Amino acid sequence: METLVLKGFGEVVKTVTFRVRRYDPEKKEIPKYEEYKVPVQKGMTILDGILYIKEHLDHSLSARYSCRMGICGSCGMIINGKEKLACQTQILELGKDLIKVDPMGNYGIVKDLVPELSKLFNNHQSVKPFIVREEEEPKSEFLQTPDQREKYAMFTDCILCGLCLSACPTSASDELYLGPQALAQSFRYIVDNRDLGFEERLNVVDSKHGVWRCHFSGACSEVCPKGVDPALAIQLLRKVMTTNIFVKYQQKGATRGPERKSALGVS
Amino acid sequence: MRESQIMFLQYLTGILVLVFGSFHFLLISVLSPSPEKILYIYNGANATHVLVGGTLYYTWVKAVYSSLIWGSVFELLLTFLVYHVFNGFRVILSELIPGGRAEKIITYALLVVALVVFIWGSRTVVVSLAGGL
Repeated sequence: METLVLKGFGEVVKTVTFRVRRYDPEKKEIPKYEEYKVPVQKGMTILDGILYIKEHLDHSLSARYSCRMGICGSCGMIINGKEKLACQTQILELGKDLIKVDPMGNYGIVKDLVPELSKLFNNHQSVKPFIVREEEEPKSEFLQTPDQREKYAMFTDCILCGLCLSACPTSASDELYLGPQALAQSFRYIVDNRDLGFEERLNVVDSKHGVWRCHFSGACSEVCPKGVDPALAIQLLRKVMTTNIFVKYQQKGATRGPERKSALGVS
Repeated sequence: MRESQIMFLQYLTGILVLVFGSFHFLLISVLSPSPEKILYIYNGANATHVLVGGTLYYTWVKAVYSSLIWGSVFELLLTFLVYHVFNGFRVILSELIPGGRAEKIITYALLVVALVVFIWGSRTVVVSLAGGL
């Protein structure tokens, strides 16, 4: 049988076996693994391998993806036991002939490798991931020094892929736990000097299933594909919460720049 | 109480249990027998030993346990232990059985058990202070 090759990649180096977890909730069958032989060309990622399977071997396989370049955070899955973005993982770099692919853990499953991410987005939404201000339409800029930005800069890199929550052992046992993603984003906004929403976030973050339930295993930081360190954010958030017991956490809001007007004189 | 206050006390009592527990075990080790406190009496084939000049005499032990300072140490240790242990149980169980009615039942049930343990332990300390036991 002739080996089908993908355009735009190097020569076929070897053939690897993809062992993919298959599950369709509508069929009410127990999850099972299916194996596919994939010819690997130089430069192929796990996502390319999955798309090869879908195009040439089994059209019924489902996976979620979009940008194919590690920006959108759609193709998170468990590859050989570790949470990774499929589009950022080179098959040859894994150095294995057998590649086990599972959907992300701690979520429901829509089908096969497609996780049901409403838990991630609901938790994210619950911590108000935006600058909270009283005024609806600011007429001038909020000033921020480079040092003030540096306090939260790393945490702005989160792409909401959900890998951290999948790897988190606390999320595995406590389904109400906010999770590393939401807690890191909560910290990101609380320490932003433009924000005034500390009190509003307090009830969610400083709750029974909030920041204090982290076991500090560090799995979230280990798997983050963007180099964000949610475990650090959680520890810093705990510091803020503990300090707040004795000295009330003050958010003054950033100072304002000069009022700006457009060329037409309309602000 | 906010969770941050509860957990701050959890960590604080953890440290205090270590400190007061050390006092407690130090006291036990002082009271415990050591070779120099034991006199061996050889009586032919049978050898027996008796405690001499040591602190593990009934009267000495009783004196320690009925002193106000040590009684206070034990009472504080008991307080810290009960808080740390039962709040720890609450945290573990609320993670394993999260949310809803079960979590509330667990919290209140543990509170009741903690109170019973605290009252029973305090009774022992108080009775010892009063010269009983």
